[in-house]
Amino acid sequence: MSITYFLWRSIYQNRETLRGLTFNETYVYVALGSAVFILLKTYVDWQMSFDIREGMIATYLIKPIDLQFYVLFTSLGFFLTSLGAITIPTILLLIFVFHIEIPVGIGLAIFPLSLILAYLLSFCFDYFIGLLGFYTESVWGLSITKEIIVTVLSGALIPLQFFPEAIQKILLWLPFQAIYYTPLTMVAKPDLGWGTFLPMLGVQLFWVIALFALTRLFYNQAVKVLRISGG
Amino acid sequence: MSLIHIDSLSKHFKILNRREGLSGAFRDLFSGDYRTVEAVAGISFDIDAGEIVGYIGPNGAGKSTTIKMMTGILKPSGGTLQVNGLVPYDNRIRQAQIMGVVFGQRTQLWWDLPVIESFKILREIYKVDQKTFDHHMDMFNELVGLKSLYTQQVRTLSLGQRMLCDISASFLHNPQVVFLDEPTIGLDISVKAKIRSVIQKLNREHNTTIILTTHDLGDVEALCHRIIIIDKGKILYDGDIKRVNSLFGAYRTLKLQIDNFTESTLRTLAEKLTKNFGEEHGVTIAETEEFWTDVTIDQARTPLSDVLSFVMSSFPVSDVRIVEISMENIVRKVYDGALA
Repeated sequence: MSITYFLWRSIYQNRETLRGLTFNETYVYVALGSAVFILLKTYVDWQMSFDIREGMIATYLIKPIDLQFYVLFTSLGFFLTSLGAITIPTILLLIFVFHIEIPVGIGLAIFPLSLILAYLLSFCFDYFIGLLGFYTESVWGLSITKEIIVTVLSGALIPLQFFPEAIQKILLWLPFQAIYYTPLTMVAKPDLGWGTFLPMLGVQLFWVIALFALTRLFYNQAVKVLRISGG
Repeated sequence: MSLIHIDSLSKHFKILNRREGLSGAFRDLFSGDYRTVEAVAGISFDIDAGEIVGYIGPNGAGKSTTIKMMTGILKPSGGTLQVNGLVPYDNRIRQAQIMGVVFGQRTQLWWDLPVIESFKILREIYKVDQKTFDHHMDMFNELVGLKSLYTQQVRTLSLGQRMLCDISASFLHNPQVVFLDEPTIGLDISVKAKIRSVIQKLNREHNTTIILTTHDLGDVEALCHRIIIIDKGKILYDGDIKRVNSLFGAYRTLKLQIDNFTESTLRTLAEKLTKNFGEEHGVTIAETEEFWTDVTIDQARTPLSDVLSFVMSSFPVSDVRIVEISMENIVRKVYDGALA
Protein backbone atom coordinates (compact mmCIF):
# COMPACT_ATOMS: atom_id res chain seq x y z
CA MET A 1 0.00 0.00 0.00
CA SER A 2 2.88 2.37 0.80
CA ILE A 3 4.48 1.57 -2.53
CA THR A 4 1.25 2.39 -4.33
CA TYR A 5 1.00 5.60 -2.36
CA PHE A 6 4.49 6.84 -3.26
CA LEU A 7 4.19 5.64 -6.85
CA TRP A 8 1.06 7.71 -7.43
CA ARG A 9 2.47 10.59 -5.33
CA SER A 10 5.42 10.81 -7.70
CA ILE A 11 3.21 10.49 -10.77
CA TYR A 12 1.19 13.46 -9.56
CA GLN A 13 4.24 15.41 -8.30
CA ASN A 14 2.85 18.85 -7.74
CA ARG A 15 -0.10 18.68 -10.08
CA GLU A 16 -3.61 19.06 -8.70
CA THR A 17 -5.39 16.86 -11.20
CA LEU A 18 -4.45 14.39 -13.92
CA ARG A 19 -7.02 13.45 -16.55
CA GLY A 20 -9.77 14.89 -14.38
CA LEU A 21 -8.82 12.94 -11.28
CA THR A 22 -7.29 14.44 -8.13
CA PHE A 23 -4.55 12.55 -6.34
CA ASN A 24 -6.92 11.50 -3.58
CA GLU A 25 -9.53 10.24 -6.02
CA THR A 26 -6.96 8.14 -7.86
CA TYR A 27 -5.50 6.83 -4.63
CA VAL A 28 -8.93 5.85 -3.28
CA TYR A 29 -9.65 4.16 -6.61
CA VAL A 30 -6.42 2.16 -6.69
CA ALA A 31 -6.35 1.31 -2.98
CA LEU A 32 -9.95 0.15 -2.93
CA GLY A 33 -9.32 -1.67 -6.18
CA SER A 34 -6.79 -3.87 -4.44
CA ALA A 35 -9.18 -4.39 -1.52
CA VAL A 36 -11.95 -5.77 -3.76
CA PHE A 37 -9.60 -7.53 -6.21
CA ILE A 38 -9.70 -10.85 -4.33
CA LEU A 39 -13.39 -10.42 -3.62
CA LEU A 40 -14.31 -10.26 -7.29
CA LYS A 41 -12.39 -13.39 -8.13
CA THR A 42 -14.82 -16.30 -8.13
CA TYR A 43 -12.36 -19.07 -9.07
CA VAL A 44 -15.28 -21.01 -10.53
CA ASP A 45 -13.26 -21.63 -13.70
CA TRP A 46 -10.58 -23.45 -11.71
CA GLN A 47 -13.16 -25.30 -9.65
CA MET A 48 -15.12 -26.42 -12.72
CA SER A 49 -11.98 -27.51 -14.51
CA PHE A 50 -11.04 -29.60 -11.48
CA ASP A 51 -14.54 -31.10 -11.32
CA ILE A 52 -14.45 -31.95 -15.01
CA ARG A 53 -11.03 -33.57 -14.86
CA GLU A 54 -11.90 -35.55 -11.75
CA GLY A 55 -15.33 -36.51 -13.08
CA MET A 56 -17.04 -34.85 -10.11
CA ILE A 57 -19.18 -32.85 -12.56
CA ALA A 58 -21.25 -36.03 -12.96
CA THR A 59 -22.37 -35.86 -9.35
CA TYR A 60 -23.83 -32.38 -9.96
CA LEU A 61 -25.53 -33.35 -13.18
CA ILE A 62 -27.35 -36.32 -11.64
CA LYS A 63 -29.15 -33.94 -9.30
CA PRO A 64 -32.24 -31.96 -10.28
CA ILE A 65 -30.37 -28.67 -10.17
CA ASP A 66 -29.36 -26.01 -12.65
CA LEU A 67 -25.58 -26.06 -13.03
CA GLN A 68 -25.21 -22.29 -13.46
CA PHE A 69 -27.06 -21.48 -10.25
CA TYR A 70 -25.42 -24.33 -8.38
CA VAL A 71 -21.96 -23.03 -9.28
CA LEU A 72 -22.99 -19.43 -8.54
CA PHE A 73 -24.32 -20.19 -5.09
CA THR A 74 -21.32 -22.35 -4.24
CA SER A 75 -19.08 -19.43 -5.14
CA LEU A 76 -21.15 -17.04 -3.00
CA GLY A 77 -19.79 -18.91 0.00
CA PHE A 78 -16.29 -17.89 -1.05
CA PHE A 79 -17.54 -14.35 -1.70
CA LEU A 80 -18.77 -13.98 1.88
CA THR A 81 -15.58 -15.51 3.24
CA SER A 82 -13.29 -13.18 1.31
CA LEU A 83 -15.54 -10.25 2.22
CA GLY A 84 -15.15 -10.93 5.93
CA ALA A 85 -11.59 -12.18 5.91
CA ILE A 86 -9.91 -9.93 3.35
CA THR A 87 -11.91 -7.05 1.93
CA ILE A 88 -13.37 -5.56 5.11
CA PRO A 89 -10.08 -5.84 7.09
CA THR A 90 -8.21 -4.25 4.16
CA ILE A 91 -10.65 -1.33 4.03
CA LEU A 92 -10.36 -0.85 7.82
CA LEU A 93 -6.59 -0.94 7.45
CA LEU A 94 -6.76 1.69 4.71
CA ILE A 95 -8.88 3.98 6.85
CA PHE A 96 -7.24 3.61 10.25
CA VAL A 97 -3.61 2.86 9.40
CA PHE A 98 -3.08 4.59 6.06
CA HIS A 99 -5.58 7.36 6.86
CA ILE A 100 -7.08 7.23 3.43
CA GLU A 101 -9.87 9.78 3.00
CA ILE A 102 -12.87 8.08 1.48
CA PRO A 103 -15.17 10.88 0.31
CA VAL A 104 -18.78 10.60 1.40
CA GLY A 105 -21.60 10.86 -1.15
CA ILE A 106 -24.40 8.94 -2.83
CA GLY A 107 -21.79 7.02 -4.82
CA LEU A 108 -20.57 5.43 -1.61
CA ALA A 109 -24.13 4.39 -0.73
CA ILE A 110 -24.74 2.58 -4.02
CA PHE A 111 -21.22 1.12 -4.14
CA PRO A 112 -22.27 -2.18 -2.43
CA LEU A 113 -25.04 -2.71 -4.98
CA SER A 114 -22.65 -2.01 -7.82
CA LEU A 115 -20.13 -4.39 -6.29
CA ILE A 116 -22.69 -7.21 -6.26
CA LEU A 117 -23.46 -6.62 -9.94
CA ALA A 118 -19.71 -6.58 -10.60
CA TYR A 119 -19.39 -9.92 -8.87
CA LEU A 120 -22.16 -11.44 -10.98
CA LEU A 121 -20.40 -10.17 -14.12
CA SER A 122 -17.07 -11.56 -13.01
CA PHE A 123 -18.90 -14.84 -12.34
CA CYS A 124 -20.25 -14.91 -15.90
CA PHE A 125 -16.73 -14.64 -17.35
CA ASP A 126 -15.36 -17.34 -15.06
CA TYR A 127 -18.34 -19.61 -15.67
CA PHE A 128 -17.86 -19.15 -19.41
CA ILE A 129 -14.23 -20.24 -19.12
CA GLY A 130 -15.37 -23.16 -16.95
CA LEU A 131 -17.81 -24.22 -19.68
CA LEU A 132 -14.99 -24.08 -22.23
CA GLY A 133 -13.46 -26.78 -20.05
CA PHE A 134 -16.24 -29.08 -21.29
CA TYR A 135 -14.38 -28.96 -24.61
CA THR A 136 -10.77 -28.61 -23.51
CA GLU A 137 -10.90 -30.39 -20.11
CA SER A 138 -8.12 -28.16 -18.82
CA VAL A 139 -8.58 -24.39 -18.64
CA TRP A 140 -5.19 -23.36 -17.33
CA GLY A 141 -4.15 -21.30 -20.37
CA LEU A 142 -7.63 -19.92 -20.94
CA SER A 143 -7.94 -18.82 -17.33
CA ILE A 144 -4.61 -17.03 -17.33
CA THR A 145 -5.47 -15.27 -20.59
CA LYS A 146 -8.89 -14.22 -19.29
CA GLU A 147 -7.28 -13.02 -16.06
CA ILE A 148 -4.89 -10.72 -17.91
CA ILE A 149 -7.52 -9.38 -20.30
CA VAL A 150 -10.03 -8.66 -17.54
CA THR A 151 -7.47 -7.12 -15.19
CA VAL A 152 -6.12 -4.70 -17.80
CA LEU A 153 -9.32 -3.80 -19.68
CA SER A 154 -11.56 -3.50 -16.63
CA GLY A 155 -9.54 -0.74 -15.01
CA ALA A 156 -8.51 -2.91 -12.07
CA LEU A 157 -4.94 -1.63 -12.17
CA ILE A 158 -5.39 1.98 -13.24
CA PRO A 159 -8.49 4.11 -13.78
CA LEU A 160 -9.69 4.03 -17.39
CA GLN A 161 -9.02 7.80 -17.65
CA PHE A 162 -5.31 7.00 -17.91
CA PHE A 163 -5.81 5.03 -21.13
CA PRO A 164 -5.52 6.91 -24.47
CA GLU A 165 -8.82 8.58 -25.40
CA ALA A 166 -9.57 6.33 -28.39
CA ILE A 167 -9.06 3.17 -26.35
CA GLN A 168 -11.16 4.58 -23.51
CA LYS A 169 -14.08 4.98 -25.92
CA ILE A 170 -13.81 1.35 -26.99
CA LEU A 171 -13.45 0.08 -23.44
CA LEU A 172 -16.61 1.84 -22.31
CA TRP A 173 -18.56 -0.24 -24.82
CA LEU A 174 -17.15 -3.51 -23.48
CA PRO A 175 -18.44 -5.40 -20.43
CA PHE A 176 -15.05 -5.49 -18.67
CA GLN A 177 -15.20 -1.92 -17.34
CA ALA A 178 -18.42 -2.75 -15.46
CA ILE A 179 -16.47 -5.11 -13.20
CA TYR A 180 -13.92 -2.71 -11.65
CA TYR A 181 -14.18 0.72 -13.19
CA THR A 182 -17.88 1.25 -12.42
CA PRO A 183 -17.94 0.42 -8.69
CA LEU A 184 -14.53 2.02 -8.04
CA THR A 185 -15.55 5.25 -9.75
CA MET A 186 -18.55 5.39 -7.44
CA VAL A 187 -16.32 5.52 -4.37
CA ALA A 188 -13.62 7.68 -5.91
CA LYS A 189 -16.05 10.31 -7.20
CA PRO A 190 -19.19 9.89 -5.08
CA ASP A 191 -20.65 13.27 -6.03
CA LEU A 192 -21.25 12.67 -9.72
CA GLY A 193 -24.98 12.47 -9.00
CA TRP A 194 -27.83 10.15 -9.96
CA GLY A 195 -27.72 11.35 -13.55
CA THR A 196 -24.34 9.60 -13.92
CA PHE A 197 -24.76 6.72 -11.52
CA LEU A 198 -28.13 5.40 -12.71
CA PRO A 199 -26.94 4.84 -16.30
CA MET A 200 -23.78 3.21 -14.90
CA LEU A 201 -25.87 0.77 -12.86
CA GLY A 202 -28.10 0.25 -15.88
CA VAL A 203 -25.12 -0.71 -18.03
CA GLN A 204 -23.94 -3.13 -15.35
CA LEU A 205 -27.37 -4.70 -15.08
CA PHE A 206 -27.59 -4.96 -18.86
CA TRP A 207 -24.30 -6.85 -19.06
CA VAL A 208 -25.23 -9.14 -16.17
CA ILE A 209 -28.50 -10.13 -17.84
CA ALA A 210 -26.93 -10.44 -21.29
CA LEU A 211 -23.98 -12.54 -20.15
CA PHE A 212 -26.15 -14.73 -17.91
CA ALA A 213 -28.38 -15.48 -20.89
CA LEU A 214 -25.45 -16.04 -23.26
CA THR A 215 -23.66 -18.44 -20.92
CA ARG A 216 -26.94 -20.33 -20.44
CA LEU A 217 -27.25 -20.77 -24.20
CA PHE A 218 -23.61 -21.78 -24.38
CA TYR A 219 -24.16 -24.37 -21.64
CA ASN A 220 -26.79 -26.10 -23.78
CA GLN A 221 -24.17 -26.51 -26.50
CA ALA A 222 -21.26 -27.37 -24.25
CA VAL A 223 -23.04 -30.06 -22.26
CA LYS A 224 -23.46 -32.07 -25.46
CA VAL A 225 -19.73 -32.64 -25.80
CA LEU A 226 -19.08 -33.24 -22.13
CA ARG A 227 -17.24 -36.42 -21.34
CA ILE A 228 -17.14 -37.74 -17.84
CA SER A 229 -13.65 -38.78 -16.84
CA GLY A 230 -13.03 -42.00 -15.01
CA GLY A 231 -15.24 -44.82 -13.85
CA MET B 1 -45.20 -50.59 -19.89
CA SER B 2 -41.59 -51.05 -18.95
CA LEU B 3 -39.86 -48.44 -16.81
CA ILE B 4 -36.71 -48.32 -18.91
CA HIS B 5 -36.87 -48.87 -22.62
CA ILE B 6 -33.69 -49.06 -24.67
CA ASP B 7 -33.57 -49.81 -28.36
CA SER B 8 -30.37 -50.06 -30.45
CA LEU B 9 -28.71 -47.44 -28.26
CA SER B 10 -25.18 -46.43 -29.18
CA LYS B 11 -22.50 -44.02 -28.08
CA HIS B 12 -19.21 -43.31 -29.77
CA PHE B 13 -16.37 -41.07 -28.75
CA LYS B 14 -13.85 -39.35 -30.97
CA ILE B 15 -10.38 -39.79 -29.59
CA LEU B 16 -7.26 -38.02 -30.79
CA ASN B 17 -4.45 -40.40 -31.60
CA ARG B 18 -1.73 -38.84 -29.50
CA ARG B 19 1.87 -39.10 -30.53
CA GLU B 20 4.78 -39.80 -28.31
CA GLY B 21 7.24 -37.35 -26.85
CA LEU B 22 7.59 -33.60 -26.83
CA SER B 23 7.63 -33.12 -30.60
CA GLY B 24 4.63 -35.42 -30.81
CA ALA B 25 2.76 -33.21 -28.37
CA PHE B 26 3.46 -30.18 -30.56
CA ARG B 27 2.30 -31.95 -33.70
CA ASP B 28 -0.87 -33.10 -31.87
CA LEU B 29 -1.92 -29.46 -31.62
CA PHE B 30 -2.58 -29.42 -35.36
CA SER B 31 -3.59 -33.02 -35.75
CA GLY B 32 -6.86 -34.13 -37.25
CA ASP B 33 -5.99 -37.73 -36.63
CA TYR B 34 -9.01 -38.99 -34.72
CA ARG B 35 -10.31 -42.48 -34.30
CA THR B 36 -13.83 -43.33 -33.26
CA VAL B 37 -14.38 -45.61 -30.31
CA GLU B 38 -17.72 -47.33 -30.03
CA ALA B 39 -18.27 -47.49 -26.28
CA VAL B 40 -21.82 -48.73 -26.71
CA ALA B 41 -22.62 -50.32 -30.05
CA GLY B 42 -26.34 -50.84 -30.36
CA ILE B 43 -27.90 -52.41 -27.29
CA SER B 44 -31.57 -53.10 -26.59
CA PHE B 45 -33.38 -54.12 -23.44
CA ASP B 46 -36.39 -53.33 -21.29
CA ILE B 47 -36.47 -53.16 -17.52
CA ASP B 48 -39.66 -53.36 -15.47
CA ALA B 49 -40.45 -51.54 -12.26
CA GLY B 50 -39.16 -53.26 -9.14
CA GLU B 51 -36.51 -55.37 -10.85
CA ILE B 52 -32.94 -55.64 -9.62
CA VAL B 53 -30.83 -56.11 -12.70
CA GLY B 54 -27.15 -56.96 -12.68
CA TYR B 55 -25.38 -55.14 -15.47
CA ILE B 56 -21.98 -56.71 -15.73
CA GLY B 57 -18.99 -56.95 -18.01
CA PRO B 58 -15.22 -56.55 -17.96
CA ASN B 59 -13.51 -53.16 -17.66
CA GLY B 60 -14.22 -50.89 -20.61
CA ALA B 61 -17.24 -52.90 -21.71
CA GLY B 62 -19.50 -49.84 -21.83
CA LYS B 63 -21.33 -50.31 -18.53
CA SER B 64 -20.67 -46.89 -17.08
CA THR B 65 -21.33 -45.21 -20.44
CA THR B 66 -24.78 -46.84 -20.55
CA ILE B 67 -25.49 -45.74 -16.98
CA LYS B 68 -24.43 -42.18 -17.79
CA MET B 69 -26.79 -42.14 -20.75
CA MET B 70 -29.66 -43.52 -18.67
CA THR B 71 -29.09 -40.82 -16.05
CA GLY B 72 -29.14 -38.14 -18.74
CA ILE B 73 -25.62 -36.78 -18.36
CA LEU B 74 -24.35 -38.21 -21.64
CA LYS B 75 -26.05 -37.70 -24.96
CA PRO B 76 -26.49 -40.94 -26.91
CA SER B 77 -25.10 -41.04 -30.45
CA GLY B 78 -28.02 -43.06 -31.72
CA GLY B 79 -30.98 -45.24 -30.82
CA THR B 80 -33.88 -44.81 -28.43
CA LEU B 81 -33.68 -44.47 -24.67
CA GLN B 82 -36.62 -43.76 -22.42
CA VAL B 83 -36.93 -43.82 -18.68
CA ASN B 84 -40.48 -43.61 -17.38
CA GLY B 85 -41.58 -42.55 -20.86
CA LEU B 86 -39.21 -39.59 -21.17
CA VAL B 87 -35.81 -39.11 -22.83
CA PRO B 88 -33.37 -38.58 -19.93
CA TYR B 89 -30.96 -36.34 -21.82
CA ASP B 90 -33.66 -33.87 -22.93
CA ASN B 91 -35.34 -33.73 -19.51
CA ARG B 92 -32.31 -33.99 -17.25
CA ILE B 93 -33.58 -31.94 -14.32
CA ARG B 94 -37.05 -33.50 -14.35
CA GLN B 95 -35.66 -37.01 -14.72
CA ALA B 96 -33.11 -36.52 -11.96
CA GLN B 97 -36.01 -36.20 -9.55
CA ILE B 98 -37.05 -39.83 -10.11
CA MET B 99 -33.52 -41.24 -10.15
CA GLY B 100 -30.89 -42.02 -7.59
CA VAL B 101 -27.29 -42.62 -8.54
CA VAL B 102 -24.30 -43.97 -6.65
CA PHE B 103 -20.90 -43.88 -8.27
CA GLY B 104 -18.68 -46.22 -6.29
CA GLN B 105 -15.58 -44.28 -7.24
CA ARG B 106 -16.75 -40.88 -6.03
CA THR B 107 -19.15 -39.52 -3.50
CA GLN B 108 -22.14 -37.34 -4.27
CA LEU B 109 -22.15 -36.00 -0.72
CA TRP B 110 -20.32 -32.81 0.24
CA TRP B 111 -16.78 -33.72 1.14
CA ASP B 112 -16.26 -31.05 3.80
CA LEU B 113 -19.69 -31.07 5.42
CA PRO B 114 -20.95 -33.29 8.22
CA VAL B 115 -23.15 -36.16 7.02
CA ILE B 116 -26.38 -34.71 8.34
CA GLU B 117 -25.79 -31.40 6.52
CA SER B 118 -25.33 -33.29 3.25
CA PHE B 119 -28.66 -35.00 3.79
CA LYS B 120 -30.31 -31.67 4.60
CA ILE B 121 -28.99 -30.17 1.36
CA LEU B 122 -30.32 -33.17 -0.54
CA ARG B 123 -33.66 -32.69 1.18
CA GLU B 124 -33.79 -29.14 -0.23
CA ILE B 125 -32.51 -30.11 -3.67
CA TYR B 126 -35.02 -32.93 -4.13
CA LYS B 127 -37.79 -31.05 -2.27
CA VAL B 128 -38.44 -33.94 0.10
CA ASP B 129 -41.07 -33.01 2.68
CA GLN B 130 -40.13 -33.14 6.34
CA LYS B 131 -42.30 -36.15 7.17
CA THR B 132 -40.85 -38.33 4.41
CA PHE B 133 -37.38 -37.09 5.31
CA ASP B 134 -37.76 -38.03 8.98
CA HIS B 135 -39.25 -41.39 8.06
CA HIS B 136 -36.36 -42.15 5.70
CA MET B 137 -33.70 -40.98 8.11
CA ASP B 138 -35.15 -43.29 10.77
CA MET B 139 -35.11 -46.14 8.30
CA PHE B 140 -31.49 -45.46 7.31
CA ASN B 141 -30.57 -45.28 10.95
CA GLU B 142 -32.13 -48.68 11.52
CA LEU B 143 -30.40 -50.16 8.47
CA VAL B 144 -26.92 -48.70 8.69
CA GLY B 145 -26.73 -46.87 12.01
CA LEU B 146 -26.56 -43.52 10.26
CA LYS B 147 -27.19 -41.47 13.42
CA SER B 148 -23.77 -42.19 14.87
CA LEU B 149 -22.20 -40.63 11.75
CA TYR B 150 -24.35 -37.46 11.62
CA THR B 151 -21.73 -35.07 12.95
CA GLN B 152 -18.77 -36.51 11.08
CA GLN B 153 -17.41 -34.79 8.02
CA VAL B 154 -17.86 -36.90 4.91
CA ARG B 155 -14.13 -36.89 4.19
CA THR B 156 -13.39 -38.50 7.56
CA LEU B 157 -15.66 -41.49 6.93
CA SER B 158 -14.21 -44.87 6.07
CA LEU B 159 -14.90 -46.14 2.58
CA GLY B 160 -17.53 -48.54 3.87
CA GLN B 161 -19.31 -45.89 5.96
CA ARG B 162 -19.19 -43.46 3.07
CA MET B 163 -20.70 -46.00 0.72
CA LEU B 164 -23.53 -46.76 3.14
CA CYS B 165 -24.20 -43.01 3.39
CA ASP B 166 -24.09 -42.62 -0.37
CA ILE B 167 -26.51 -45.48 -0.92
CA SER B 168 -28.87 -44.11 1.72
CA ALA B 169 -28.66 -40.67 0.11
CA SER B 170 -29.59 -42.05 -3.28
CA PHE B 171 -32.83 -43.45 -1.83
CA LEU B 172 -33.74 -40.32 0.15
CA HIS B 173 -36.17 -38.84 -2.39
CA ASN B 174 -38.03 -42.06 -3.13
CA PRO B 175 -36.66 -42.48 -6.65
CA GLN B 176 -38.29 -44.91 -9.05
CA VAL B 177 -34.95 -46.17 -10.25
CA VAL B 178 -31.54 -46.27 -8.59
CA PHE B 179 -28.30 -46.84 -10.44
CA LEU B 180 -25.55 -48.39 -8.39
CA ASP B 181 -22.25 -48.18 -10.24
CA GLU B 182 -19.84 -50.53 -8.48
CA PRO B 183 -21.10 -49.92 -4.95
CA THR B 184 -18.89 -52.58 -3.39
CA ILE B 185 -15.62 -51.60 -5.03
CA GLY B 186 -12.69 -51.82 -2.63
CA LEU B 187 -14.74 -53.00 0.36
CA ASP B 188 -14.11 -55.97 2.61
CA ILE B 189 -16.38 -59.00 2.81
CA SER B 190 -18.36 -57.99 5.89
CA VAL B 191 -19.14 -54.49 4.57
CA LYS B 192 -20.08 -56.01 1.22
CA ALA B 193 -22.54 -58.31 2.94
CA LYS B 194 -24.03 -55.37 4.82
CA ILE B 195 -24.39 -53.31 1.65
CA ARG B 196 -26.09 -56.19 -0.12
CA SER B 197 -28.68 -56.58 2.62
CA VAL B 198 -29.29 -52.82 2.71
CA ILE B 199 -29.84 -52.73 -1.05
CA GLN B 200 -32.26 -55.62 -0.80
CA LYS B 201 -34.29 -53.98 1.96
CA LEU B 202 -34.41 -50.63 0.19
CA ASN B 203 -35.56 -52.34 -2.99
CA ARG B 204 -38.45 -53.98 -1.15
CA GLU B 205 -39.45 -50.87 0.81
CA HIS B 206 -40.80 -48.95 -2.23
CA ASN B 207 -40.43 -51.51 -5.02
CA THR B 208 -37.54 -49.42 -6.36
CA THR B 209 -35.95 -50.56 -9.60
CA ILE B 210 -32.23 -51.10 -9.18
CA ILE B 211 -29.58 -51.36 -11.84
CA LEU B 212 -26.34 -52.65 -10.45
CA THR B 213 -23.00 -52.71 -12.17
CA THR B 214 -20.27 -54.58 -10.43
CA HIS B 215 -17.17 -56.67 -10.81
CA ASP B 216 -18.09 -58.78 -7.86
CA LEU B 217 -20.12 -61.78 -8.96
CA GLY B 218 -21.08 -62.30 -5.32
CA ASP B 219 -23.13 -59.07 -5.48
CA VAL B 220 -24.97 -60.29 -8.53
CA GLU B 221 -25.58 -63.73 -7.05
CA ALA B 222 -26.96 -62.24 -3.84
CA LEU B 223 -29.16 -59.55 -5.36
CA CYS B 224 -30.24 -60.09 -8.93
CA HIS B 225 -32.66 -62.38 -10.69
CA ARG B 226 -31.83 -61.01 -14.07
CA ILE B 227 -28.44 -60.34 -15.49
CA ILE B 228 -27.22 -58.49 -18.55
CA ILE B 229 -23.68 -59.22 -19.69
CA ILE B 230 -22.05 -56.64 -21.92
CA ASP B 231 -18.68 -56.67 -23.63
CA LYS B 232 -17.17 -54.32 -26.21
CA GLY B 233 -20.43 -52.35 -26.24
CA LYS B 234 -22.61 -55.30 -27.19
CA ILE B 235 -24.95 -57.43 -25.11
CA LEU B 236 -23.74 -60.99 -24.80
CA TYR B 237 -26.46 -62.31 -22.55
CA ASP B 238 -29.70 -61.02 -21.10
CA GLY B 239 -31.80 -63.29 -19.00
CA ASP B 240 -32.23 -65.35 -15.89
CA ILE B 241 -29.26 -65.49 -13.58
CA LYS B 242 -29.68 -69.23 -13.00
CA ARG B 243 -28.14 -70.18 -16.32
CA VAL B 244 -25.17 -67.93 -15.75
CA ASN B 245 -24.97 -69.20 -12.22
CA SER B 246 -24.25 -72.66 -13.58
CA LEU B 247 -21.19 -71.08 -15.20
CA PHE B 248 -19.65 -69.13 -12.38
CA GLY B 249 -21.25 -71.04 -9.57
CA ALA B 250 -19.84 -74.35 -10.73
CA TYR B 251 -16.37 -73.27 -11.68
CA ARG B 252 -13.61 -72.67 -9.18
CA THR B 253 -9.96 -72.15 -9.87
CA LEU B 254 -7.31 -73.69 -7.68
CA LYS B 255 -4.01 -71.84 -7.72
CA LEU B 256 -1.14 -74.10 -6.76
CA GLN B 257 2.50 -73.45 -6.09
CA ILE B 258 4.35 -76.69 -6.67
CA ASP B 259 7.92 -77.18 -5.40
CA ASN B 260 10.58 -78.31 -7.84
CA PHE B 261 8.39 -77.13 -10.70
CA THR B 262 9.73 -78.29 -14.09
CA GLU B 263 8.48 -78.42 -17.65
CA SER B 264 7.11 -81.89 -17.15
CA THR B 265 5.16 -81.12 -13.96
CA LEU B 266 2.12 -79.89 -15.85
CA ARG B 267 2.10 -82.97 -18.09
CA THR B 268 2.46 -85.32 -15.13
CA LEU B 269 -0.35 -83.53 -13.31
CA ALA B 270 -2.66 -83.83 -16.30
CA GLU B 271 -1.87 -87.52 -16.71
CA LYS B 272 -2.41 -88.30 -13.07
CA LEU B 273 -5.73 -86.42 -13.01
CA THR B 274 -7.01 -88.41 -15.99
CA LYS B 275 -5.88 -91.62 -14.38
CA ASN B 276 -7.64 -90.81 -11.12
CA PHE B 277 -10.85 -89.12 -12.24
CA GLY B 278 -11.38 -90.57 -15.71
CA GLU B 279 -11.41 -88.88 -19.13
CA GLU B 280 -14.38 -86.59 -18.40
CA HIS B 281 -12.95 -84.96 -15.30
CA GLY B 282 -13.69 -81.39 -16.39
CA VAL B 283 -10.43 -80.07 -14.99
CA THR B 284 -8.22 -77.77 -17.03
CA ILE B 285 -4.64 -76.87 -16.21
CA ALA B 286 -2.55 -73.91 -17.20
CA GLU B 287 0.60 -72.24 -15.96
CA THR B 288 -0.27 -68.56 -15.51
CA GLU B 289 2.58 -66.91 -13.68
CA GLU B 290 5.95 -68.29 -12.81
CA PHE B 291 5.67 -71.24 -10.41
CA TRP B 292 1.88 -70.89 -10.18
CA THR B 293 -0.38 -73.50 -11.76
CA ASP B 294 -4.05 -72.77 -12.37
CA VAL B 295 -6.38 -75.74 -12.07
CA THR B 296 -9.94 -74.82 -13.11
CA ILE B 297 -12.50 -77.29 -11.88
CA ASP B 298 -16.03 -77.89 -13.08
CA GLN B 299 -17.63 -78.88 -9.81
CA ALA B 300 -20.58 -80.41 -11.59
CA ARG B 301 -18.23 -83.20 -12.68
CA THR B 302 -15.50 -83.40 -10.06
CA PRO B 303 -15.76 -81.96 -6.55
CA LEU B 304 -13.11 -79.38 -5.71
CA SER B 305 -12.26 -81.11 -2.43
CA ASP B 306 -11.41 -84.36 -4.23
CA VAL B 307 -9.06 -82.63 -6.64
CA LEU B 308 -7.47 -80.66 -3.83
CA SER B 309 -6.77 -83.66 -1.62
CA PHE B 310 -5.53 -85.67 -4.58
CA VAL B 311 -3.10 -82.95 -5.70
CA MET B 312 -1.92 -82.31 -2.15
CA SER B 313 -1.12 -85.96 -1.60
CA SER B 314 0.69 -86.55 -4.88
CA PHE B 315 2.64 -83.28 -5.35
CA PRO B 316 4.86 -81.20 -3.07
CA VAL B 317 2.49 -78.21 -2.94
CA SER B 318 3.81 -75.27 -0.95
CA ASP B 319 0.93 -72.81 -1.38
CA VAL B 320 -2.73 -72.98 -2.38
CA ARG B 321 -5.32 -70.37 -3.23
CA ILE B 322 -8.93 -70.89 -4.26
CA VAL B 323 -10.26 -68.26 -6.64
CA GLU B 324 -13.78 -67.71 -7.89
CA ILE B 325 -14.07 -67.49 -11.64
CA SER B 326 -13.42 -63.95 -12.88
CA MET B 327 -15.60 -61.71 -14.99
CA GLU B 328 -13.15 -62.06 -17.86
CA ASN B 329 -13.38 -65.84 -17.72
CA ILE B 330 -17.17 -65.74 -17.76
CA VAL B 331 -17.16 -63.45 -20.76
CA ARG B 332 -14.71 -65.79 -22.49
CA LYS B 333 -16.95 -68.75 -21.74
CA VAL B 334 -20.01 -66.92 -23.04
CA TYR B 335 -18.09 -66.17 -26.25
CA ASP B 336 -17.20 -69.85 -26.45
CA GLY B 337 -20.89 -70.61 -26.54
CA ALA B 338 -21.47 -71.72 -22.96
CA LEU B 339 -24.92 -70.13 -22.84
CA ALA B 340 -25.94 -70.80 -26.43
